[in-house]
Amino acid sequence: MTASLASPPPLRFFRISRHRRVAWIGSGVACLLSLIGLAICWFTPSIGAPLKPGLDFTGGTQIQIERACDPGACSAINGQEIQQRLARISLPSEAEEQAPNISSVAVQVLDQGQSVVLRLPALAPAQSAAVIEEMAADVGPLDQAGTSVNTIGPTLGAQLLQGSLISLLVSFAAIAAYITLRYDRVYAFLALLALGHDVLITCGVFAWLGLLQGIEVDSLFAVSLITVAGYSVTDTVVVFDRIREQKSLIGQFSLINQVDVAVDATLTRSLYTSLTTLLPLLALIFFGGSSLFWFAVALTIGISVGSWSSIGIAPTLLPLLSR
Amino acid sequence: MARQQGWFALILALAIAAGALLASYPLQLGLDLRGGSQLTLQVLPAGAIKTVDKEQLEAVKEVLDRRINGLGVAESTLQTVGNDQMVLQLPGEQDPSRAAKVLGTTALLEFRTQKPGTEQALRGLLALKRQSEAVLRSKERRTAEVNEPPTAPGAPNPEPPPDFQADELADAMRSMGLTVPAGSSEIDQLRLLLEVVNSRVVDLFEPTGLTGKDLVTAGRQQQQSGAGWEVTLGFNREGGEKFATLTQSIAGTGRLLGIVLDGRSISEATVGPEFKAAGIAGGSASITGNFSAEEARDLEVQLRGGSLPLPVKVVEVRTVGPSLGAENVRTSLLAALSGLALVAVFMVWVYRLPGLVAVVALSLYALFNLAIYALIPVTLTLPGIAGFILSIGIAVDANVLIFERVKEELRQGTTLIRSIDSGFSLALSSILDGHVTGLISCVALFALGTGLVKGFAVTLGIGLLLSLFTALTCTRTLLRLLMSYPSLRRSTYFLPATQLPGTAA
Repeated sequence: MTASLASPPPLRFFRISRHRRVAWIGSGVACLLSLIGLAICWFTPSIGAPLKPGLDFTGGTQIQIERACDPGACSAINGQEIQQRLARISLPSEAEEQAPNISSVAVQVLDQGQSVVLRLPALAPAQSAAVIEEMAADVGPLDQAGTSVNTIGPTLGAQLLQGSLISLLVSFAAIAAYITLRYDRVYAFLALLALGHDVLITCGVFAWLGLLQGIEVDSLFAVSLITVAGYSVTDTVVVFDRIREQKSLIGQFSLINQVDVAVDATLTRSLYTSLTTLLPLLALIFFGGSSLFWFAVALTIGISVGSWSSIGIAPTLLPLLSR
Repeated sequence: MARQQGWFALILALAIAAGALLASYPLQLGLDLRGGSQLTLQVLPAGAIKTVDKEQLEAVKEVLDRRINGLGVAESTLQTVGNDQMVLQLPGEQDPSRAAKVLGTTALLEFRTQKPGTEQALRGLLALKRQSEAVLRSKERRTAEVNEPPTAPGAPNPEPPPDFQADELADAMRSMGLTVPAGSSEIDQLRLLLEVVNSRVVDLFEPTGLTGKDLVTAGRQQQQSGAGWEVTLGFNREGGEKFATLTQSIAGTGRLLGIVLDGRSISEATVGPEFKAAGIAGGSASITGNFSAEEARDLEVQLRGGSLPLPVKVVEVRTVGPSLGAENVRTSLLAALSGLALVAVFMVWVYRLPGLVAVVALSLYALFNLAIYALIPVTLTLPGIAGFILSIGIAVDANVLIFERVKEELRQGTTLIRSIDSGFSLALSSILDGHVTGLISCVALFALGTGLVKGFAVTLGIGLLLSLFTALTCTRTLLRLLMSYPSLRRSTYFLPATQLPGTAA
């Protein structure tokens, strides 16, 4: 039946090979902007890393307190006053170690001055209790139930970062091995390229967010990168699966034609799938509260970019590399 | 047909079992969802031990387990992580500092006897110690009263505060070879002074070989005078004998028996001349130190737990207030449900009848997922919930892949039943590849990740395995079962008539 075809089957939507230059330029510009963002972060003295590292990676203590008063009943908390006050208190020393210097505490006022987040160097439990006591004396009474204290030792932060990076690299290698086994080396290379593209752009957006908005990345961000990587590969592999299928159906036509047909046929699926994955994520962004907000944002960006690369980048590069 | 009914019965049975499981085993919520404290403890190498191994970690854990039980925090859990860390969860506990103190100290209890010829020096030091302690206590009480309402009725009336005369404290510090740190408060100075005095006191005593290792029991009771609490000790046979010998050796000499905890002198006891003959026999003793009820309890816990084979350091503390936790549960539940609802609307709108089937299969998927969380059990945390929500997206993908294929087949003019069959078989390899690559990352994350990352990998991994099952079994069985009713066997229930061949052209 296939032998009787004189021309490739008609396409429902569009021929991707016609738009491939636009796709490549778009992705190239996005990657370049991301690299620039990462580089600026790296050379910004206050950051000194490609992404602005959060508490999870740098170590330190974060104390969040909530005042126990009706909205409007207390006057708003003044961040600067708190900063000055905290600089003056003396912390109890712990074991033989000197109490850390907390003159450079970062204060973030939330909820119209009813809630405060303090960022301090790593404190022992008794020391953070002393800080909370001081705050209670200053802006109290406090709502005990709304208090949260996170302390992460600097060694643990480094460990976390290392663990995340290693798990990322290992999962890349394992995925590449699997695709090489199931398809071909070129496919594996392109899947990893698309993956790198998606992860790079997601990181790039957060580098710019760190520069412009002070957004920091935490271990949840590392989780989201790994998820984006997994999703990106899945998405790409489905298209590759379809291209390989075309070989047996319309193998007499050029690879470019096969790619066009495969992308066209999987287009609805690619869009619907990212849409159904994005719907719960958008719900998380809008109703999920602050704890998961940036996590959901990172996934939303990564998955959108992942769909783009699995349609516009990985398949269109295939004919170039498979000669 | 019979095969379909068999599968359907199985799915139905699983759903009922899952429902029953969920009803009888509640889901475990992590501390970020229910509020409480989580401490990560690092075991440090010490002495001859250069690196900590699994066995030593277990030994430390055993001791800590006993201490935690002594603290009386309900539902606390202690788990080892990696080679040298432990995670302690204290649900509902808002102040982890006491736990950290009890856990972090090595609590080496020693009984020492005073060196001969040190009576004069010790008398001076002890007098200074008593005075500094009394002053410090009254000062601390006064600071506490400023911040807190007056003590509960029935508490002993504070005695008229003893105090140092002007410059007396500075003189005392100088006599100990200390310089007064500039700008330090009087309370800090007193603490520093006490520390040095204590170590000088300990220097006047010599070890006897009787330590906390010989201890079998520890308890506490109110002192007969009613002024405070004392900690009671019970020794094993060997310890009892040692204790008798050493008390005999100092009885009536005026030399004291020092009780030293972690190199700090807690108490110095006199042994009366009546014990000259046989020492204090019977293998029990008590430490009186005017402890408060809480101090006595903490000391008791430390003693009963024995001494830690290796020192422990608290490297991470996370505390979440209960209302913050409840807020997290509420918002993530809302996100999960609204996400599911949006996906359901989308699927029915785009895929019609099979879309409806997919929604049923997805609901089963969510039910099975939660049942497995309750069964294993998986402790649900925020990243865990995120993994769950994400796995829903991937579970939908399997259905989308199948239904898109079915639509394609229908567009090409294939009959409905054949389209459904080839839809499943054509989509299979894509579904498999997608799930396998996802599972590969889950395995890598679980094996190499820590804490949060692990929780995410577990829920996502369970989700991927289940979605393979529900997409390939539940969706297919339900769809085939529906197709056995002729009234439902209409292509327009799958694809708008305009896209069907023959009608549109």
